[in-house]
Amino acid sequence: MPAIRELLLEAFQPSLKDNEALVDAILGSSADLKKRKFALGGDTAVSGLLYYVAGLADSKVVELILRALVVQYRESHREKEGPETADDIVTGLLSNASAKSCSKAEEAITSVLTGDTLVMIEGVGEAIVVVSRGWEDRSIEEPVAENNVRGPRDGFTESIRTNTAHVRRRLRDPRLRFDEMVVGERSKTDVNIAYIEDLVKEGLVEEVKRRIGRIRIDAVLESSYIEELIEDEPLSPLNTVQNTERPDKVASALLEGRVAIFIDNTPSVLLVPTFFWQYIQASDDYYNHYWVGTFYRIVRYVALIISLVLPSIYVMLISFHHEMIPTSLALTIASGREVVPFPVLLEALLMELAFELMREAGIRMPKPIGQAVSIVGSLIIGQAAVQAGIVSPFMVIIVAITGISSFAIPSYSSSLAIRIIRFPLLIASGTLGLLGFATVFFALMLHALSIRSFGESYLAPASPFRARDQRDMVLRMPMWMLDGRPNFAQDEDRIGGRQRPKPPTPTEKG
Amino acid sequence: MNRIRLSNGMFMAMIVNMIYAKAIGVTQGTISRLIGQDMWIATLLGTLQGLLIIYVLHWAMRRLPGRRITDLPSLGDALLGRWFGHLTALILVGFFLAGFGPIMITFVYHLKDYFLPEVPLAIFIVSGLAVGAIGCYYGLEVMGRLALLGILFIFLLNLLIVIGSIDEFDILNMLPVLEHGLPNALFASVHFDADWALAAMMAALVLPHAQDGLVRGGRFGAAGIAAGGVAIMIWSILEPAVLSAEVSSQYTVSCMKLARNAHVGTFLQRYEMIMIALYSVPVLFEIMFTLYAVSACSTRLFHLKSDKAAILPSAIALGAFGYWIVEDHFRAIRFLENIWPWIALPVAAGLPLLMLLLRLLLQKRTERAAPYPEEG
Repeated sequence: MPAIRELLLEAFQPSLKDNEALVDAILGSSADLKKRKFALGGDTAVSGLLYYVAGLADSKVVELILRALVVQYRESHREKEGPETADDIVTGLLSNASAKSCSKAEEAITSVLTGDTLVMIEGVGEAIVVVSRGWEDRSIEEPVAENNVRGPRDGFTESIRTNTAHVRRRLRDPRLRFDEMVVGERSKTDVNIAYIEDLVKEGLVEEVKRRIGRIRIDAVLESSYIEELIEDEPLSPLNTVQNTERPDKVASALLEGRVAIFIDNTPSVLLVPTFFWQYIQASDDYYNHYWVGTFYRIVRYVALIISLVLPSIYVMLISFHHEMIPTSLALTIASGREVVPFPVLLEALLMELAFELMREAGIRMPKPIGQAVSIVGSLIIGQAAVQAGIVSPFMVIIVAITGISSFAIPSYSSSLAIRIIRFPLLIASGTLGLLGFATVFFALMLHALSIRSFGESYLAPASPFRARDQRDMVLRMPMWMLDGRPNFAQDEDRIGGRQRPKPPTPTEKG
Repeated sequence: MNRIRLSNGMFMAMIVNMIYAKAIGVTQGTISRLIGQDMWIATLLGTLQGLLIIYVLHWAMRRLPGRRITDLPSLGDALLGRWFGHLTALILVGFFLAGFGPIMITFVYHLKDYFLPEVPLAIFIVSGLAVGAIGCYYGLEVMGRLALLGILFIFLLNLLIVIGSIDEFDILNMLPVLEHGLPNALFASVHFDADWALAAMMAALVLPHAQDGLVRGGRFGAAGIAAGGVAIMIWSILEPAVLSAEVSSQYTVSCMKLARNAHVGTFLQRYEMIMIALYSVPVLFEIMFTLYAVSACSTRLFHLKSDKAAILPSAIALGAFGYWIVEDHFRAIRFLENIWPWIALPVAAGLPLLMLLLRLLLQKRTERAAPYPEEG
C-alpha cells in the first residue's frame, strides 16, 4: 500500500468508487469522521458522497449542502441531462458563502480536517470543498495577564479569524493586510501575518515570512513554538518577540509599522520588532491622562530596577559593605539578623526560592486553593519563619517588595525573565560583593546592548539614542505631542500633529 | 564585509569614557604631588594639548582618495607599504599593553583598597577582563553604545560629587594660583596627557568607523576631548578646594578620598558605593577597549581571519602584565609616574605627527598607486 504522503499527491477521478477508496485510505476509520451518501437530485443512478468531521463542521451547514444537492438540484435540473463539472455545481447550485472545486487529494483532506465539507459526485472528475467550519469557541473575555482599568476589555481567543476580526474592527484601513501561511507538518496550523502596507518597516514582512517559512516542526500548539523558532537571540533570557492578548495593543503596534503574527488555536499574538522598554509600557498609560500615565510608567521603571537589583544590593551591603549603610539603619538590620543562623546570601536564596515556590503553587492549583496558598505562604509561613529565627524581618520585607515589584511589570513573560536574571546577580553579589555585582550587571548590560529584534536594536530608543522617540519611553507625553512613529516605519509622521487644544478666543466664540 | 557604524555621539562618548576613569583620581593625585593646588591648570593645559593632537590625527587620517583607511595601521599600509602598517600595529600593541597597567591600577586600587581588601588580586583582573572580553566579542558598535550610557553615568557621578562636596568647598584652598609657575604646570600636564593619549590612540583605531569620522572626525574628537576635560576638571577643582592639595597628594586614588568625604545631610553620610557603581562603566570601557585594541592589532600582525580569535590570547597577555603591575604598589606608582607618560606621549603625539608628515610628503605618490581609484 502506498504511503499516505504519496496518496495525498493523487488527483480525483470521475469514478466515485475510486475517490472514496482514496479518501478512506488516507483518513482511515475514525469515530469523528462522518461519511454520508446521497443521490444527486434524488436520482439513484447518480450517487454522491460527503465527508466532514463532526464537531469541527457545523451540522446545519452540512444539512444545507445536502438539501441543495438532493432537493434543489432536482428542481433546477429538470430539463438538463447528467451531472456537470464541479465548478458548475459550485456556481449554479450551492448557496454557501465559500465553496470551490478541488482536484488534489491533499487540499481536500486538509480542508476536511479544518472543518470543511468534502463533496464527491459520480462522473465528476473533481471534488468540491464547501466551507462549513463551526466548532464551539471560547467566548471573548478580558485578557487574564494584561488587565487594565480603563480601556477595551476584549481579548483574543483561540480562533484566528475572531482575532483578526478584532483588529480589523479597530483599523478599517484598506491597507491593512493579513498574509496567510501554514506551519506544522501534522498540525497544519494557520498563521496570519498582519501589517499596514504603507507603514510597515521595509523588508520586515519578507523577513518574517522567510523565518516562518524556514520552520520545520510537527505541530504548533502555541505561539511560543513559533516565537522560539524565529527570534534573533535564541540563547538570551530576554524576550525579543513580544506577545499580547490585547487587540488594542496589536492595532497600536501595526500603526507603528510593526508586524503582528496571528497563530490559530492560541490567544497570544506575536509582535515584531520589539524593544525592551515596551515591556514596561501598559495600555493604561495611553488611556489615562498623560500625567497619570507618565507617573505610573516611572513607578514601573522603579519596579523594574527593584525587582532586578534590590536583593543583590541588600546582600552585597550586608555581606561586604556594611559601612555604607547609615548607622541607625545598620543597627536595625543587625538586631533583626542577630538570631539568624544563615549567611545572608543563603538566607536570600532560600527566601527567593520560597517565594517562587509559592508563586508557582498559586498558579498551578485551582483558583480558590491557589489564593489560600498565597495567603498561607506569605503571611503565616513568613511570620513563623521570622519568629523561629530562620530569616530576618528585613529579608522578608526585601523579598516581598521585590516580588511585588516584579508583578508590577506589565509583561508577564518579561517579569519572569527578570526573575531568572536576578539569581546570577544575587549569587555574584553575595560572593564577590561590589565586584561581582558590577561584573554580572555589566555583562548583562552588554548582552542587552548587543541584541536585536528583527534588525532593530533591542534597547532603542535609549541606545542608540533617538531624541524624537523619547516622547514615549520613560515619559508618556500628551497625545498632541505624539506625532511621530518609530524611525523604522515607512511614514514617520503620524496624521495630525500640532493639535494642542486651547480654549476658543473671544472672537471665535462670536 | 560588515561595516561597523559608530554615530558621532558614540565616538565622542568613547573618547570621554577613555579619558575619565584614571584622570579624575589617579592622575590628579600625581599632579597634586607635583604642583599642589594648580591641578586644574595642568588639566586645562593637558586638555588643550589633547585638542591639538586629535586634530593632527584627523588631518593625518582624513579621506585619502582611492584608499580604504580603516585605522592608523591601514594608513601606514597606504603610505609606506605593508611593513609600515605592521610596524604601526606593533607599536599600538605595545602602547595599549603598557596602557593597561595604569588602567588596572585605577580599577583594582579603587575596588580592592576601598571596598574589598580581602578578595584575591587575580579575581579583579579576571572579572575586569571577562567583562572586557564580552564587550570585545560583541564588537565596536556595542562598545559605542556602552560608552553613551557611560556618559549618563559620568554626568550622574559628577552631579553626586558636586552635591556631596559643595558644602565644604573653600576657594582659599586653591590659592595662590600658579604657585609653582607655568613651566611646572606644563610639565605636570604630561600626566594628564598620558590619559588623553589613550583616547587619541583609540581614535586612531575607530575614527574611520565613525559616521563622519574621515570628514569631520577632528571636530567630534576635539568635542570629546573638551567634554572629557570639563568633566575631569570638576574633580581637579573639587579635590584641592575641598580636601586641599596636601591631602590629595597623600592618596594614590585621591578621588576616592573626595568621594568618601562627600555626604548629603546627616543620614546619607557615605555613598561612595553608588559613585563607584556609576564609575564602573568608564573604567570597564577602558579595559574593554584596550583588549579590543590589542586583539585587533594582533589580528593584523598575525594575519588572523577574525579578531575574535585573538581576544583570549590578548586577555591573557594583558592580564599577566596587569597583575604584575598592580601586585606591588611601589612598582605600580613607579610605572604610573615615571614610565607610562614617557611611553604614552611619544606614541600618541609622535605617531599622528609622523603620519601627517608622511602623508604630506607622499600623498601624490599614494594617490597614483591607489587600488580603488573610483572610490575617491
